[in-house]
Amino acid sequence: MHGVAVLLRKDACVLGNLSVLAREQSVFKGVFILVFAGAMLGGLWYLFLEGFQFLGNLGGIGVMLIHHLFALCFFGLGLMLVLSNIITTYTTVFHSEEIPFLLCRPIAPGEILLHKWLETTLISSWAFFLIIVPFIGAFAWHERLSALFMLWTFLFSIPLVLLYAGVGMLLTILVLRFAPRWRARLWVGIALLGLIGWGGWLLLGFGKTPTDDVAFILERFVPGLKVAAFPLWPSAWVAEGIVALSRGQWLRGSLLFGVLLANTLMVALLVEAAGNALFVQTWLRTRAAFRQGAPARPIAAPVPATRLTFLAHDARALVIKDVRTMARDPAQWIQGFLFFGLLTLYFFNLRNLHYHLLSDVWRNLITFLNIFSLAAVMCSFSSRFIYPQLSLEGQAFWLIGLGPTTMGRILKIKFLSALVGMLAISVVLMTVSTISLAVGWRVWLTTMGLAVAMSLGLSALATGLGAVFLDLKQRNPMSIISGFGGTLNLALSLVYLAAVILPFGALNHYYVLGRIGSGDLRTGMLAASAWLIIATLAATFLPLFSGKRSLLRRDY
Amino acid sequence: MIEIEHLTKSFGRVQAVKDLSLTIPQGELFCFLGPNGAGKTTTIKLLCGLLKPTSGTIRIRGLDLKAEPAAVHRLIGYIPDTPYLYERLTPLEFFQFIGDLYQVPPAQVREARDKYFALFAMEDYAQTLIKDLSHGYRQRLIYAATFLHQPKVLFIDEPFIGLDPFSIRLIHDLLRQTARAGTTIFLTTHILAFAEQLADRIGIISGGSLSGLGTLAELKALSSVQGALEDVFLRLTRPEGN
Repeated sequence: MHGVAVLLRKDACVLGNLSVLAREQSVFKGVFILVFAGAMLGGLWYLFLEGFQFLGNLGGIGVMLIHHLFALCFFGLGLMLVLSNIITTYTTVFHSEEIPFLLCRPIAPGEILLHKWLETTLISSWAFFLIIVPFIGAFAWHERLSALFMLWTFLFSIPLVLLYAGVGMLLTILVLRFAPRWRARLWVGIALLGLIGWGGWLLLGFGKTPTDDVAFILERFVPGLKVAAFPLWPSAWVAEGIVALSRGQWLRGSLLFGVLLANTLMVALLVEAAGNALFVQTWLRTRAAFRQGAPARPIAAPVPATRLTFLAHDARALVIKDVRTMARDPAQWIQGFLFFGLLTLYFFNLRNLHYHLLSDVWRNLITFLNIFSLAAVMCSFSSRFIYPQLSLEGQAFWLIGLGPTTMGRILKIKFLSALVGMLAISVVLMTVSTISLAVGWRVWLTTMGLAVAMSLGLSALATGLGAVFLDLKQRNPMSIISGFGGTLNLALSLVYLAAVILPFGALNHYYVLGRIGSGDLRTGMLAASAWLIIATLAATFLPLFSGKRSLLRRDY
Repeated sequence: MIEIEHLTKSFGRVQAVKDLSLTIPQGELFCFLGPNGAGKTTTIKLLCGLLKPTSGTIRIRGLDLKAEPAAVHRLIGYIPDTPYLYERLTPLEFFQFIGDLYQVPPAQVREARDKYFALFAMEDYAQTLIKDLSHGYRQRLIYAATFLHQPKVLFIDEPFIGLDPFSIRLIHDLLRQTARAGTTIFLTTHILAFAEQLADRIGIISGGSLSGLGTLAELKALSSVQGALEDVFLRLTRPEGN
């Protein structure tokens, strides 16, 4: 384990140097990020607490749901961790320039992979802790549990995230090592067919078990409860173990912790073994993949250049380049695919969940919660893909800058191409949601208006701020996103989304509850629509204007 | 000593290196030349274990690279054309890290650090984060760190890219001294004047095959060219019919 120890010592040095890097940043930036993170944690805590109180007030099934949600939370986050680690492993292990550096040093491949396992766990698990802290805090507050509850949660969470991350890493290695060398298009086709098949299976109701017991009713309310509570699943050990330790059931709690730890250590052994047996061949295979067979034909753009003749020459050139670049970088589009794929699956399954049979109050709530889900995913998408697109032009920016076009047009083209993508996704998904929930024309019109406005506002904010905080030296999109500009974009996008969605949601909610009449609703909707237009115009033009000014003023 | 026997590397139907056999004795400074895409970097990567040969064997100081990669990695040093460095370490920390990795005793690390940091005029930058170093200083650092564990065989891909005249002279002299002290050096370069001055022997690769091997005089005789190495190179790598 000498190699792992050396690499960890190096990491300790890097961590130590973060203070130097932090000192290079402005105080305002530091304070802004801290305030934003604090407000986000506080906001999430408040929302979770409200949710628990709402379920508690329902009584009966609501109280039962609260306890099942605990296991479901660990289960859902676990699945996300595995997925996240698959992507992180692909990018930080198989696309990293550090690997060739390490492979020609006297360090065993198993040790390299063990170190990468720890590193990818750290990279992929911060979001897990960001969500778990307010969730657990709200749960403990609601259930009046002691502060030790938080301690047990952290004690269990560390081996849990390592376990899930290890599973993600092992899956990635196995797939990369043994999956047949089919073209990416074929893999995407198979994935799509699988998704369509699954969706159809659920829609046709083959997965249903006709029973009327409590578990079935709970499952109807929140799908996945039964799977999450399966006793051999790590999320079930964690949920039960934390509660057992908090209630003083030391033996049961320690047993479950021991089981979790043993499994995590087993995964560590498997990672090391896979590292020694498979890692080098897998790495070589991924490196050589693009050169197999005949000189590889790269993935073509979904739309051939000849079909885009209606676009101006510069717009066509930029759009085609961007689409090709994106299509040929699976690490990029797989994330987008996952972002919207999961949401699409959920929206297409709304019928299967029978939400359309619920009362108007619930359907209205679910409709606006769906808008929030879509808004959150659009916000992540714009932060992850649209914001860094100008910076990712990198050292080649001079090529565009010297071309027969203007900075203003470049910005406009980037904005419009982002907008087309956002509109296509948001309008389709909102249409599916509203049809599945069988809502009235008023709510349908509202959701469509919001989808169009959100697409405009988010695309413009991300493009404009991406130009203002242009970073042409950085090649890693994650570093671009995690900078001050990326954080500001995320914060402003969230503020904008909350500001435009909440008035419509509140008005419709109070109307279906009968607290306001149709006259008040009409007036309120007019005011909310005017506010939506003003806020969207501001979110669209201000960042684009600032971005254009910044691009014109800077040196390249 | 480097022994290469019938080394072939194919990428699908494309043969990047074709049946290469070559022996480079201890203490020799060997320059590997060739046009773009000829297979130079592929060969170096094969010799370092970063690519797996399709066929053939590689032995470094008698050790089979395939059978004993870790033992070989202890003996070699590799400087790629664009070396990887940990941006958030300082040169001092990076040096220490390499010392740790190769299990160099701390006293030897300190001694080497003083020697090479002075030699490469890096003392003033020892505590600067690597991300803030210029390309030249990064190159100096990778040289200093590579010499730390005193490799017996050194592979260098394009050693003079982006260096100022001072650094070029420094590395030029250092490579000569190192070879004289018994280290085998295998380097690729496009700067033929340096190959002419530095190399004990020169190998010219073209289209994946060795088209010339020997001292400058032997290459001149082989190519029937009496001019500079550039003329020899052009003759030996010129596509047929031109």
